[in-house]
Amino acid sequence: MRQITIITLATIALFTLALTQHSGGVYKTNTGNISFFSHTPVEDIAAENHKVKTAFSSANGKLQFSVLIKDFEFEKALMQEHFNENYMESTKYPKATFNGIIENINTIKTTTQGIYTAKVSGKLTMKNVTKQVSTTATFTVKKDIVNAKAVFNVNPADYNVKIPKTVINKISDNIKISIDADYAHQH
Amino acid sequence: MDNPRSTKQLTHMKRTLILAISLLVLGATFFAYTSLNKEHTDVATAEVLQELSAHELFAAFDANQEKATLKYAEQVITVTGLLLNKDLSNNQEPQIILAGNGDDGFIRCGFNAEYLQKAIALVDGDQVTVKGLCKGFNDAGDLDLLTDRDVVLSNCILTTLDQPET
Repeated sequence: MRQITIITLATIALFTLALTQHSGGVYKTNTGNISFFSHTPVEDIAAENHKVKTAFSSANGKLQFSVLIKDFEFEKALMQEHFNENYMESTKYPKATFNGIIENINTIKTTTQGIYTAKVSGKLTMKNVTKQVSTTATFTVKKDIVNAKAVFNVNPADYNVKIPKTVINKISDNIKISIDADYAHQH
Repeated sequence: MDNPRSTKQLTHMKRTLILAISLLVLGATFFAYTSLNKEHTDVATAEVLQELSAHELFAAFDANQEKATLKYAEQVITVTGLLLNKDLSNNQEPQIILAGNGDDGFIRCGFNAEYLQKAIALVDGDQVTVKGLCKGFNDAGDLDLLTDRDVVLSNCILTTLDQPET
């Protein structure tokens, strides 16, 4: 009788564990895209990074990003050089990170195809300055991939990015950051 | 009455000055133009700072990230290592992963989009040599969902396939 009870309890425990793993888990990619766009009447500046490391937990909504600043590619080499050396000081501050949460993670069914809207908020760190940011993201579940798209704006001055007066009319104080990442479930 | 000789000298000085200013303006314009239109590093023809194994490169960043960033970032290097897998999930930049250090340390090499077919043709487990522009170390610090750590290379080429003959 005692043996049957132990076997039953063990089976229930394993079944519960399997269910938990199926309904929750970590979704990750190392090939996410982040681009930024600065528009002024004088000049438009854009750059892209295709090696963004990001993951989220469908169990608790935790969402994280880590991106190498030097890996942003500009059309013009000189712009890229100025961005790294003068503005972002990317040798001294090589990464930008985001540590946040998908506030309504429970409404995103990562195993059911569909489009879900979510509120994302958290701490964005660049150049050793951390600020709270929030935005609305769209999660699209298609087969084994969860695609996330989001857009938000940052002011370079908030992150201690000093723009010289000679070029201040060429760089927007409201830079658009776009995120596009295809997450796969981690087994 | 003007001295014809000094008038002639003055005219000569004026001409010399105009010529000097013109040359200066021309030089400044040329410098500004070449600076503004400076080309991105051409990895295929660029000189290599150092040839090293994937393990050596990862170990350098793992031991001292600041020192390794100063030494390797934005430098063209050649890295040889075991191809763990191909990550072709981003069609704008196909990527391959070389073994760097056990389960959590890798060399992530990004190629231009037109490289996709060559990347597909690679076989996991092969020894490959990649020439690329080192971008630094993407370890996510205290972000607990992102525990793997990558040394990142961009604009890569496979030296056995693409290195021009010297």
